[in-house]
Amino acid sequence: MSQLKNFREFYETTLRPELEIIDREKKQVNKRVITVLSLTVASVFFELLLIPSGTMLKGMLPLLTAFAGLVTTGVLSKNYRKEFKSKIILKITGFLDEGLTYNPDGLIPLSEFLKSEIFQLSCESYTGEDHFRGKIGKTDIEFSEITAKHKNTSSSGSSQKEEYITIFSGLFIIADFNKNFKTRTIVLPDTAEKLFGKFGQTLQSISMGRGKLVRLEDPVFEKEFCVYGDDQIEARYILTPALMERIVAFKRKWDKKVSLSFIDSKVYLAININKNLFETRVFRPVADYSFMEENLRFLILLTEIVEDLNLNTRIWTKE
Amino acid sequence: MIYLLAFVVSLALIVLILYNSLIRKKNDVDNAFASVDVMLKRRYDLIPALVEAVKGYMNYERDILVEITTLRTKALSDKINNDERVVIENQIRQKLSDILAAVENYPDLKANQNFLKLQGAINETEEQLSASRRAFNAAVTIFNNSVEVFPSNILAAVIRFRRRTLFEIPESQKVRPDVSPLTSNKWPV
Repeated sequence: MSQLKNFREFYETTLRPELEIIDREKKQVNKRVITVLSLTVASVFFELLLIPSGTMLKGMLPLLTAFAGLVTTGVLSKNYRKEFKSKIILKITGFLDEGLTYNPDGLIPLSEFLKSEIFQLSCESYTGEDHFRGKIGKTDIEFSEITAKHKNTSSSGSSQKEEYITIFSGLFIIADFNKNFKTRTIVLPDTAEKLFGKFGQTLQSISMGRGKLVRLEDPVFEKEFCVYGDDQIEARYILTPALMERIVAFKRKWDKKVSLSFIDSKVYLAININKNLFETRVFRPVADYSFMEENLRFLILLTEIVEDLNLNTRIWTKE
Repeated sequence: MIYLLAFVVSLALIVLILYNSLIRKKNDVDNAFASVDVMLKRRYDLIPALVEAVKGYMNYERDILVEITTLRTKALSDKINNDERVVIENQIRQKLSDILAAVENYPDLKANQNFLKLQGAINETEEQLSASRRAFNAAVTIFNNSVEVFPSNILAAVIRFRRRTLFEIPESQKVRPDVSPLTSNKWPV
Protein backbone atom coordinates (compact mmCIF):
# COMPACT_ATOMS: atom_id res chain seq x y z
CA MET A 1 0.00 0.00 0.00
CA SER A 2 3.06 2.24 -0.24
CA GLN A 3 1.59 3.64 -3.47
CA LEU A 4 -1.11 5.41 -1.47
CA LYS A 5 1.50 7.53 0.32
CA ASN A 6 2.89 9.04 -2.87
CA PHE A 7 -0.50 9.30 -4.50
CA ARG A 8 -1.39 12.66 -3.00
CA GLU A 9 1.57 14.30 -4.73
CA PHE A 10 0.84 12.50 -8.00
CA TYR A 11 -2.77 13.65 -7.76
CA GLU A 12 -1.85 17.29 -7.20
CA THR A 13 0.81 17.49 -9.91
CA THR A 14 -0.45 15.19 -12.65
CA LEU A 15 -4.11 14.33 -12.22
CA ARG A 16 -5.69 17.47 -10.84
CA PRO A 17 -5.02 19.81 -13.80
CA GLU A 18 -6.50 17.22 -16.20
CA LEU A 19 -9.43 16.50 -13.91
CA GLU A 20 -10.27 20.16 -13.70
CA ILE A 21 -10.41 20.36 -17.50
CA ILE A 22 -12.74 17.36 -17.52
CA ASP A 23 -14.89 18.98 -14.83
CA ARG A 24 -15.22 22.15 -16.89
CA GLU A 25 -16.21 20.13 -19.94
CA LYS A 26 -18.61 18.11 -17.81
CA LYS A 27 -20.26 21.28 -16.54
CA GLN A 28 -20.91 22.53 -20.07
CA VAL A 29 -22.13 19.14 -21.21
CA ASN A 30 -24.40 18.86 -18.17
CA LYS A 31 -26.00 22.19 -19.11
CA ARG A 32 -26.65 20.89 -22.61
CA VAL A 33 -27.93 17.61 -21.21
CA ILE A 34 -30.41 19.45 -19.00
CA THR A 35 -31.58 21.50 -22.00
CA VAL A 36 -32.01 18.37 -24.12
CA LEU A 37 -33.84 16.57 -21.32
CA SER A 38 -36.19 19.53 -20.70
CA LEU A 39 -36.90 19.79 -24.42
CA THR A 40 -37.56 16.05 -24.58
CA VAL A 41 -39.97 16.13 -21.64
CA ALA A 42 -41.78 19.15 -23.10
CA SER A 43 -42.04 17.55 -26.57
CA VAL A 44 -43.37 14.30 -25.13
CA PHE A 45 -45.91 16.22 -23.09
CA PHE A 46 -47.16 18.23 -26.10
CA GLU A 47 -47.18 15.19 -28.35
CA LEU A 48 -49.37 13.38 -25.85
CA LEU A 49 -51.63 16.41 -25.60
CA LEU A 50 -51.93 17.40 -29.24
CA ILE A 51 -51.90 14.20 -31.27
CA PRO A 52 -55.43 12.83 -31.52
CA SER A 53 -55.88 9.53 -29.73
CA GLY A 54 -56.44 6.31 -31.60
CA THR A 55 -53.73 6.95 -34.17
CA MET A 56 -50.50 5.02 -34.54
CA LEU A 57 -48.61 8.26 -34.08
CA LYS A 58 -49.97 8.73 -30.57
CA GLY A 59 -48.28 5.59 -29.36
CA MET A 60 -45.08 5.83 -31.35
CA LEU A 61 -43.98 9.45 -31.48
CA PRO A 62 -43.60 10.19 -27.74
CA LEU A 63 -41.64 6.98 -27.31
CA LEU A 64 -39.36 7.85 -30.22
CA THR A 65 -38.84 11.36 -28.88
CA ALA A 66 -37.93 10.08 -25.43
CA PHE A 67 -35.55 7.57 -26.96
CA ALA A 68 -33.91 10.22 -29.17
CA GLY A 69 -33.54 12.51 -26.16
CA LEU A 70 -31.80 9.82 -24.10
CA VAL A 71 -29.49 8.85 -26.97
CA THR A 72 -28.50 12.51 -27.43
CA THR A 73 -27.60 12.90 -23.74
CA GLY A 74 -25.57 9.68 -23.99
CA VAL A 75 -23.69 11.01 -27.03
CA LEU A 76 -23.09 14.38 -25.35
CA SER A 77 -21.56 12.88 -22.21
CA LYS A 78 -19.65 10.15 -24.03
CA ASN A 79 -16.77 12.45 -24.82
CA TYR A 80 -15.76 13.40 -21.29
CA ARG A 81 -16.42 9.88 -20.01
CA LYS A 82 -14.02 8.59 -22.63
CA GLU A 83 -11.49 11.25 -21.77
CA PHE A 84 -11.70 10.34 -18.10
CA LYS A 85 -10.85 6.75 -18.87
CA SER A 86 -8.20 7.27 -21.53
CA LYS A 87 -6.40 10.00 -19.61
CA ILE A 88 -7.03 9.61 -15.90
CA ILE A 89 -7.47 5.86 -15.42
CA LEU A 90 -4.57 5.25 -17.79
CA LYS A 91 -2.34 7.52 -15.69
CA ILE A 92 -3.41 5.87 -12.44
CA THR A 93 -2.57 2.49 -14.01
CA GLY A 94 0.91 3.70 -14.95
CA PHE A 95 1.36 5.18 -11.47
CA LEU A 96 0.51 1.88 -9.81
CA ASP A 97 2.60 -0.39 -11.99
CA GLU A 98 4.47 0.50 -15.14
CA GLY A 99 4.16 -3.05 -16.39
CA LEU A 100 0.38 -2.77 -16.50
CA THR A 101 -1.42 -1.59 -19.65
CA TYR A 102 -4.98 -0.31 -19.87
CA ASN A 103 -7.44 -0.34 -22.74
CA PRO A 104 -10.78 1.34 -21.85
CA ASP A 105 -12.67 -0.39 -24.68
CA GLY A 106 -10.92 -3.76 -24.48
CA LEU A 107 -12.22 -6.89 -22.82
CA ILE A 108 -11.25 -10.49 -22.10
CA PRO A 109 -12.14 -12.45 -25.27
CA LEU A 110 -15.27 -14.59 -25.17
CA SER A 111 -13.20 -17.69 -26.01
CA GLU A 112 -11.19 -17.27 -22.80
CA PHE A 113 -14.32 -16.60 -20.78
CA LEU A 114 -15.86 -19.84 -22.05
CA LYS A 115 -12.61 -21.76 -21.61
CA SER A 116 -12.81 -21.17 -17.85
CA GLU A 117 -15.83 -23.53 -17.73
CA ILE A 118 -17.12 -21.64 -14.70
CA PHE A 119 -20.34 -20.88 -16.55
CA GLN A 120 -22.18 -23.60 -18.39
CA LEU A 121 -25.08 -21.80 -20.06
CA SER A 122 -24.41 -20.71 -23.63
CA CYS A 123 -23.56 -17.04 -23.97
CA GLU A 124 -25.44 -15.02 -26.60
CA SER A 125 -24.65 -11.53 -25.41
CA TYR A 126 -21.13 -10.71 -24.26
CA THR A 127 -19.93 -7.19 -23.48
CA GLY A 128 -17.17 -5.68 -21.42
CA GLU A 129 -14.75 -2.82 -20.90
CA ASP A 130 -11.75 -1.66 -18.87
CA HIS A 131 -9.23 -4.25 -19.90
CA PHE A 132 -6.01 -4.28 -17.85
CA ARG A 133 -3.10 -6.46 -18.77
CA GLY A 134 0.47 -6.91 -17.58
CA LYS A 135 3.01 -8.72 -15.54
CA ILE A 136 3.12 -8.42 -11.77
CA GLY A 137 6.37 -9.92 -10.53
CA LYS A 138 6.61 -13.20 -12.39
CA THR A 139 2.90 -13.51 -13.04
CA ASP A 140 1.05 -12.56 -16.22
CA ILE A 141 -2.37 -11.22 -15.38
CA GLU A 142 -5.29 -9.65 -17.22
CA PHE A 143 -8.72 -8.57 -16.10
CA SER A 144 -11.75 -6.68 -17.36
CA GLU A 145 -15.35 -6.00 -16.56
CA ILE A 146 -17.65 -8.49 -18.24
CA THR A 147 -21.40 -8.90 -18.62
CA ALA A 148 -22.48 -12.18 -20.14
CA LYS A 149 -26.09 -13.07 -20.93
CA HIS A 150 -27.85 -16.21 -21.99
CA LYS A 151 -30.80 -16.09 -24.39
CA ASN A 152 -33.68 -18.09 -23.09
CA THR A 153 -36.43 -18.97 -25.54
CA SER A 154 -39.65 -20.23 -24.09
CA SER A 155 -42.71 -20.98 -26.17
CA SER A 156 -46.24 -20.96 -24.89
CA GLY A 157 -48.66 -22.12 -27.56
CA SER A 158 -47.81 -20.47 -30.85
CA SER A 159 -45.99 -17.45 -29.41
CA GLN A 160 -42.30 -17.54 -28.65
CA LYS A 161 -40.83 -15.47 -25.87
CA GLU A 162 -37.20 -14.47 -25.76
CA GLU A 163 -35.46 -13.14 -22.71
CA TYR A 164 -31.87 -12.56 -21.70
CA ILE A 165 -30.68 -13.91 -18.37
CA THR A 166 -27.49 -12.47 -16.90
CA ILE A 167 -25.13 -15.34 -16.19
CA PHE A 168 -22.30 -13.14 -15.02
CA SER A 169 -21.72 -9.49 -14.32
CA GLY A 170 -18.52 -8.38 -12.67
CA LEU A 171 -14.78 -8.72 -12.88
CA PHE A 172 -13.20 -11.54 -14.80
CA ILE A 173 -9.53 -12.24 -14.17
CA ILE A 174 -7.02 -14.57 -15.80
CA ALA A 175 -3.62 -15.12 -14.21
CA ASP A 176 -0.75 -17.45 -14.85
CA PHE A 177 -0.68 -20.11 -12.11
CA ASN A 178 2.60 -20.99 -10.38
CA LYS A 179 2.38 -24.73 -11.05
CA ASN A 180 1.94 -26.75 -14.21
CA PHE A 181 -1.08 -29.01 -14.52
CA LYS A 182 -2.95 -30.83 -17.25
CA THR A 183 -6.47 -31.43 -15.96
CA ARG A 184 -9.38 -29.17 -15.00
CA THR A 185 -10.21 -28.13 -11.44
CA ILE A 186 -13.23 -25.90 -10.88
CA VAL A 187 -14.03 -24.17 -7.61
CA LEU A 188 -17.60 -22.87 -7.32
CA PRO A 189 -19.46 -21.11 -4.53
CA ASP A 190 -21.21 -23.74 -2.49
CA THR A 191 -24.89 -22.96 -2.51
CA ALA A 192 -26.17 -26.53 -2.21
CA GLU A 193 -24.32 -27.42 0.97
CA LYS A 194 -25.16 -24.12 2.63
CA LEU A 195 -28.86 -24.60 1.94
CA PHE A 196 -29.31 -28.32 2.39
CA GLY A 197 -26.36 -29.53 4.52
CA LYS A 198 -25.56 -33.22 4.01
CA PHE A 199 -28.24 -33.59 1.35
CA GLY A 200 -26.52 -30.71 -0.46
CA GLN A 201 -23.36 -32.82 -0.66
CA THR A 202 -25.33 -35.44 -2.56
CA LEU A 203 -26.63 -32.73 -4.90
CA GLN A 204 -23.07 -31.52 -5.46
CA SER A 205 -21.99 -34.90 -6.78
CA ILE A 206 -24.07 -34.16 -9.88
CA SER A 207 -21.27 -32.29 -11.57
CA MET A 208 -22.82 -31.53 -15.00
CA GLY A 209 -19.76 -32.58 -16.98
CA ARG A 210 -17.20 -30.81 -14.85
CA GLY A 211 -15.44 -33.92 -13.65
CA LYS A 212 -15.86 -35.57 -10.27
CA LEU A 213 -16.63 -33.92 -6.97
CA VAL A 214 -13.44 -33.40 -4.96
CA ARG A 215 -13.99 -33.48 -1.21
CA LEU A 216 -11.29 -31.55 0.56
CA GLU A 217 -10.28 -31.74 4.19
CA ASP A 218 -10.54 -28.05 5.08
CA PRO A 219 -14.01 -27.69 6.63
CA VAL A 220 -14.13 -23.89 6.29
CA PHE A 221 -13.22 -24.10 2.61
CA GLU A 222 -15.70 -26.93 2.03
CA LYS A 223 -18.46 -24.82 3.53
CA GLU A 224 -17.77 -21.93 1.19
CA PHE A 225 -16.88 -23.79 -2.01
CA CYS A 226 -17.47 -26.97 -3.88
CA VAL A 227 -14.76 -28.38 -6.10
CA TYR A 228 -14.95 -30.47 -9.26
CA GLY A 229 -11.97 -31.96 -11.01
CA ASP A 230 -10.82 -34.51 -13.54
CA ASP A 231 -8.04 -35.74 -11.30
CA GLN A 232 -8.33 -36.12 -7.54
CA ILE A 233 -4.58 -35.83 -7.00
CA GLU A 234 -3.99 -32.91 -9.32
CA ALA A 235 -6.89 -31.02 -7.72
CA ARG A 236 -5.11 -31.42 -4.38
CA TYR A 237 -1.76 -30.58 -5.93
CA ILE A 238 -3.29 -27.22 -6.92
CA LEU A 239 -5.49 -26.73 -3.86
CA THR A 240 -2.94 -27.17 -1.11
CA PRO A 241 -4.10 -26.50 2.47
CA ALA A 242 -2.32 -23.14 2.26
CA LEU A 243 -4.03 -22.11 -0.99
CA MET A 244 -7.44 -23.17 0.33
CA GLU A 245 -6.94 -20.89 3.30
CA ARG A 246 -5.87 -18.06 0.99
CA ILE A 247 -8.95 -18.51 -1.19
CA VAL A 248 -11.25 -18.36 1.83
CA ALA A 249 -9.51 -15.19 3.04
CA PHE A 250 -9.71 -13.75 -0.48
CA LYS A 251 -13.44 -14.42 -0.64
CA ARG A 252 -13.96 -12.73 2.72
CA LYS A 253 -11.85 -9.77 1.68
CA TRP A 254 -14.03 -9.12 -1.37
CA ASP A 255 -17.24 -10.21 0.31
CA LYS A 256 -18.65 -11.15 -3.09
CA LYS A 257 -19.53 -14.32 -4.93
CA VAL A 258 -16.19 -15.70 -6.16
CA SER A 259 -15.70 -18.62 -8.57
CA LEU A 260 -12.38 -20.00 -9.73
CA SER A 261 -11.12 -22.50 -12.21
CA PHE A 262 -7.69 -23.93 -12.86
CA ILE A 263 -7.23 -24.87 -16.49
CA ASP A 264 -4.14 -25.08 -18.71
CA SER A 265 -1.80 -23.94 -15.92
CA LYS A 266 -3.84 -20.74 -15.52
CA VAL A 267 -6.25 -19.56 -12.86
CA TYR A 268 -9.55 -17.95 -13.91
CA LEU A 269 -11.47 -15.89 -11.39
CA ALA A 270 -14.98 -14.51 -11.67
CA ILE A 271 -16.02 -11.98 -9.04
CA ASN A 272 -19.67 -10.89 -9.18
CA ILE A 273 -19.94 -7.14 -8.78
CA ASN A 274 -22.97 -4.99 -9.49
CA LYS A 275 -21.09 -1.77 -9.98
CA ASN A 276 -19.60 -0.17 -13.05
CA LEU A 277 -15.99 0.50 -12.11
CA PHE A 278 -13.61 3.22 -13.33
CA GLU A 279 -16.39 5.64 -14.36
CA THR A 280 -16.90 9.38 -13.90
CA ARG A 281 -19.72 10.65 -11.77
CA VAL A 282 -22.47 12.90 -13.04
CA PHE A 283 -23.41 15.27 -10.26
CA ARG A 284 -20.21 15.71 -8.30
CA PRO A 285 -16.85 16.96 -9.61
CA VAL A 286 -14.23 14.37 -10.49
CA ALA A 287 -11.37 16.59 -9.33
CA ASP A 288 -11.67 15.16 -5.86
CA TYR A 289 -8.83 13.36 -4.09
CA SER A 290 -10.95 10.78 -2.28
CA PHE A 291 -12.74 9.83 -5.51
CA MET A 292 -9.40 9.28 -7.25
CA GLU A 293 -8.02 7.36 -4.27
CA GLU A 294 -11.04 5.08 -4.47
CA ASN A 295 -10.20 4.27 -8.10
CA LEU A 296 -6.59 3.57 -7.14
CA ARG A 297 -7.73 1.30 -4.31
CA PHE A 298 -9.86 -0.72 -6.72
CA LEU A 299 -6.82 -1.24 -8.89
CA ILE A 300 -4.59 -2.13 -5.95
CA LEU A 301 -7.20 -4.61 -4.79
CA LEU A 302 -7.15 -6.23 -8.21
CA THR A 303 -3.39 -6.39 -8.61
CA GLU A 304 -3.09 -7.76 -5.07
CA ILE A 305 -4.69 -10.98 -6.32
CA VAL A 306 -1.22 -12.13 -7.35
CA GLU A 307 0.01 -11.80 -3.77
CA ASP A 308 -3.23 -13.01 -2.23
CA LEU A 309 -3.02 -16.28 -4.11
CA ASN A 310 0.77 -16.42 -3.76
CA LEU A 311 1.22 -16.65 -7.53
CA ASN A 312 4.74 -15.19 -7.57
CA THR A 313 6.14 -18.08 -5.54
CA ARG A 314 7.88 -20.21 -8.15
CA ILE A 315 9.62 -22.93 -6.18
CA TRP A 316 8.26 -25.75 -8.35
CA THR A 317 9.27 -26.69 -11.88
CA LYS A 318 7.31 -23.86 -13.52
CA GLU A 319 9.37 -20.70 -13.89
CA MET B 1 -45.76 -65.56 -4.55
CA ILE B 2 -45.26 -62.55 -6.79
CA TYR B 3 -44.60 -60.37 -3.71
CA LEU B 4 -41.99 -62.78 -2.46
CA LEU B 5 -40.32 -62.76 -5.85
CA ALA B 6 -40.39 -58.96 -5.97
CA PHE B 7 -38.89 -58.83 -2.45
CA VAL B 8 -36.09 -61.26 -3.36
CA VAL B 9 -35.32 -59.42 -6.58
CA SER B 10 -35.17 -56.02 -4.89
CA LEU B 11 -33.04 -57.41 -2.07
CA ALA B 12 -30.64 -58.92 -4.60
CA LEU B 13 -30.54 -55.61 -6.42
CA ILE B 14 -29.74 -53.69 -3.24
CA VAL B 15 -26.98 -56.15 -2.36
CA LEU B 16 -25.58 -55.84 -5.87
CA ILE B 17 -25.54 -52.03 -5.73
CA LEU B 18 -23.95 -52.02 -2.27
CA TYR B 19 -21.39 -54.61 -3.32
CA ASN B 20 -20.39 -52.68 -6.45
CA SER B 21 -20.16 -49.45 -4.53
CA LEU B 22 -17.91 -51.06 -1.89
CA ILE B 23 -15.64 -52.57 -4.54
CA ARG B 24 -15.41 -49.23 -6.34
CA LYS B 25 -14.46 -47.48 -3.11
CA LYS B 26 -11.86 -50.13 -2.33
CA ASN B 27 -10.37 -49.70 -5.81
CA ASP B 28 -10.26 -45.94 -5.32
CA VAL B 29 -8.26 -46.50 -2.14
CA ASP B 30 -5.88 -48.90 -3.92
CA ASN B 31 -5.44 -46.48 -6.82
CA ALA B 32 -4.71 -43.62 -4.49
CA PHE B 33 -2.20 -45.77 -2.60
CA ALA B 34 -0.51 -46.71 -5.87
CA SER B 35 -0.11 -43.05 -6.79
CA VAL B 36 1.52 -42.36 -3.41
CA ASP B 37 3.93 -45.16 -4.30
CA VAL B 38 4.68 -43.60 -7.69
CA MET B 39 5.54 -40.30 -6.02
CA LEU B 40 7.74 -42.05 -3.44
CA LYS B 41 9.65 -43.76 -6.25
CA ARG B 42 10.14 -40.39 -7.91
CA ARG B 43 11.53 -39.11 -4.63
CA TYR B 44 13.95 -42.07 -4.40
CA ASP B 45 15.14 -41.31 -7.93
CA LEU B 46 15.89 -37.71 -7.06
CA ILE B 47 17.92 -38.43 -3.92
CA PRO B 48 21.11 -39.71 -5.66
CA ALA B 49 20.98 -36.74 -8.05
CA LEU B 50 20.67 -34.35 -5.12
CA VAL B 51 23.53 -35.96 -3.20
CA GLU B 52 25.69 -35.84 -6.34
CA ALA B 53 24.85 -32.16 -6.96
CA VAL B 54 25.60 -30.91 -3.44
CA LYS B 55 28.45 -33.11 -2.24
CA GLY B 56 31.13 -31.01 -3.96
CA TYR B 57 29.94 -27.93 -2.06
CA MET B 58 28.82 -29.19 1.33
CA ASN B 59 31.75 -30.00 3.55
CA TYR B 60 30.06 -29.69 6.91
CA GLU B 61 26.93 -31.64 6.07
CA ARG B 62 28.55 -34.83 4.80
CA ASP B 63 26.84 -36.82 7.57
CA ILE B 64 23.37 -35.87 6.34
CA LEU B 65 24.29 -36.96 2.82
CA VAL B 66 25.46 -40.35 4.06
CA GLU B 67 22.38 -40.73 6.24
CA ILE B 68 19.92 -39.93 3.48
CA THR B 69 21.64 -42.40 1.12
CA THR B 70 21.42 -45.12 3.79
CA LEU B 71 17.76 -44.33 4.45
CA ARG B 72 16.99 -44.53 0.75
CA THR B 73 18.62 -47.96 0.50
CA LYS B 74 16.60 -49.11 3.52
CA ALA B 75 13.35 -47.77 2.08
CA LEU B 76 13.94 -49.62 -1.18
CA SER B 77 14.64 -52.97 0.53
CA ASP B 78 11.82 -55.51 0.68
CA LYS B 79 12.51 -56.53 4.25
CA ILE B 80 10.75 -53.66 5.97
CA ASN B 81 7.07 -53.61 6.92
CA ASN B 82 4.64 -50.77 6.34
CA ASP B 83 5.08 -49.16 9.77
CA GLU B 84 8.85 -49.14 9.48
CA ARG B 85 8.51 -47.69 6.03
CA VAL B 86 6.43 -44.78 7.29
CA VAL B 87 9.12 -43.99 9.87
CA ILE B 88 11.84 -44.12 7.21
CA GLU B 89 9.80 -41.93 4.82
CA ASN B 90 9.39 -39.33 7.54
CA GLN B 91 13.13 -39.36 8.22
CA ILE B 92 13.89 -38.99 4.52
CA ARG B 93 11.56 -36.00 4.31
CA GLN B 94 13.29 -34.40 7.29
CA LYS B 95 16.75 -34.98 5.81
CA LEU B 96 15.64 -33.57 2.46
CA SER B 97 14.45 -30.38 4.04
CA ASP B 98 17.65 -30.20 6.15
CA ILE B 99 19.75 -30.42 2.99
CA LEU B 100 17.67 -27.80 1.17
CA ALA B 101 17.91 -25.52 4.21
CA ALA B 102 21.71 -25.98 4.37
CA VAL B 103 21.98 -24.86 0.74
CA GLU B 104 21.30 -21.32 1.99
CA ASN B 105 24.90 -21.27 3.31
CA TYR B 106 26.38 -21.94 -0.13
CA PRO B 107 25.76 -19.04 -2.53
CA ASP B 108 27.61 -20.76 -5.40
CA LEU B 109 25.32 -23.74 -5.13
CA LYS B 110 22.25 -21.53 -4.91
CA ALA B 111 23.23 -19.86 -8.16
CA ASN B 112 23.84 -23.14 -9.98
CA GLN B 113 21.16 -23.60 -12.66
CA ASN B 114 21.27 -27.39 -12.57
CA PHE B 115 20.84 -27.38 -8.84
CA LEU B 116 17.94 -24.92 -9.06
CA LYS B 117 16.20 -27.23 -11.51
CA LEU B 118 16.76 -30.16 -9.21
CA GLN B 119 15.46 -28.18 -6.25
CA GLY B 120 12.33 -27.35 -8.27
CA ALA B 121 11.85 -31.02 -9.09
CA ILE B 122 12.22 -31.99 -5.42
CA ASN B 123 9.76 -29.34 -4.26
CA GLU B 124 7.34 -30.48 -6.94
CA THR B 125 7.64 -34.15 -5.97
CA GLU B 126 7.10 -33.31 -2.30
CA GLU B 127 4.01 -31.28 -3.21
CA GLN B 128 2.69 -34.09 -5.42
CA LEU B 129 3.42 -36.58 -2.68
CA SER B 130 1.47 -34.53 -0.20
CA ALA B 131 -1.40 -34.22 -2.71
CA SER B 132 -1.52 -37.97 -3.31
CA ARG B 133 -1.45 -38.64 0.44
CA ARG B 134 -4.39 -36.30 0.89
CA ALA B 135 -6.21 -37.97 -2.02
CA PHE B 136 -5.52 -41.33 -0.36
CA ASN B 137 -6.90 -40.08 2.95
CA ALA B 138 -10.03 -38.78 1.22
CA ALA B 139 -10.58 -42.14 -0.52
CA VAL B 140 -9.98 -44.01 2.75
CA THR B 141 -12.45 -41.80 4.61
CA ILE B 142 -15.15 -42.55 2.04
CA PHE B 143 -14.30 -46.27 2.16
CA ASN B 144 -14.24 -46.38 5.98
CA ASN B 145 -17.63 -44.67 6.14
CA SER B 146 -19.13 -47.38 3.91
CA VAL B 147 -17.51 -50.12 5.96
CA GLU B 148 -19.02 -48.78 9.17
CA VAL B 149 -22.36 -47.34 8.14
CA PHE B 150 -25.55 -49.42 8.00
CA PRO B 151 -26.51 -51.28 5.79
CA SER B 152 -23.24 -51.53 3.83
CA ASN B 153 -21.41 -52.54 7.05
CA ILE B 154 -23.21 -55.93 6.98
CA LEU B 155 -21.99 -56.69 3.49
CA ALA B 156 -18.52 -55.31 4.29
CA ALA B 157 -18.31 -57.74 7.23
CA VAL B 158 -19.34 -60.64 4.99
CA ILE B 159 -16.68 -59.89 2.36
CA ARG B 160 -14.19 -59.02 5.12
CA PHE B 161 -13.53 -55.43 4.27
CA ARG B 162 -11.97 -53.64 7.21
CA ARG B 163 -11.22 -50.06 8.08
CA ARG B 164 -8.02 -48.75 6.52
CA THR B 165 -5.57 -46.49 8.29
CA LEU B 166 -5.11 -42.88 7.25
CA PHE B 167 -1.76 -41.28 6.48
CA GLU B 168 -0.70 -38.78 9.05
CA ILE B 169 -0.15 -35.36 7.54
CA PRO B 170 3.20 -34.08 8.84
CA GLU B 171 3.21 -31.01 11.04
CA SER B 172 5.38 -29.10 8.58
CA GLN B 173 2.56 -29.27 6.03
CA LYS B 174 0.04 -27.91 8.49
CA VAL B 175 1.77 -24.54 8.66
CA ARG B 176 -0.88 -21.93 8.02
CA PRO B 177 -0.13 -19.18 5.54
CA ASP B 178 -0.12 -15.63 6.80
CA VAL B 179 -3.31 -14.23 5.33
CA SER B 180 -3.33 -11.09 7.46
CA PRO B 181 -2.27 -8.81 4.57
CA LEU B 182 -5.43 -9.91 2.82
CA THR B 183 -7.54 -8.16 5.38
CA SER B 184 -5.79 -4.80 5.05
CA ASN B 185 -7.52 -3.57 1.88
CA LYS B 186 -11.11 -4.73 1.88
CA TRP B 187 -13.99 -4.46 -0.53
CA PRO B 188 -15.89 -2.15 -0.67
CA VAL B 189 -13.00 0.25 -0.40
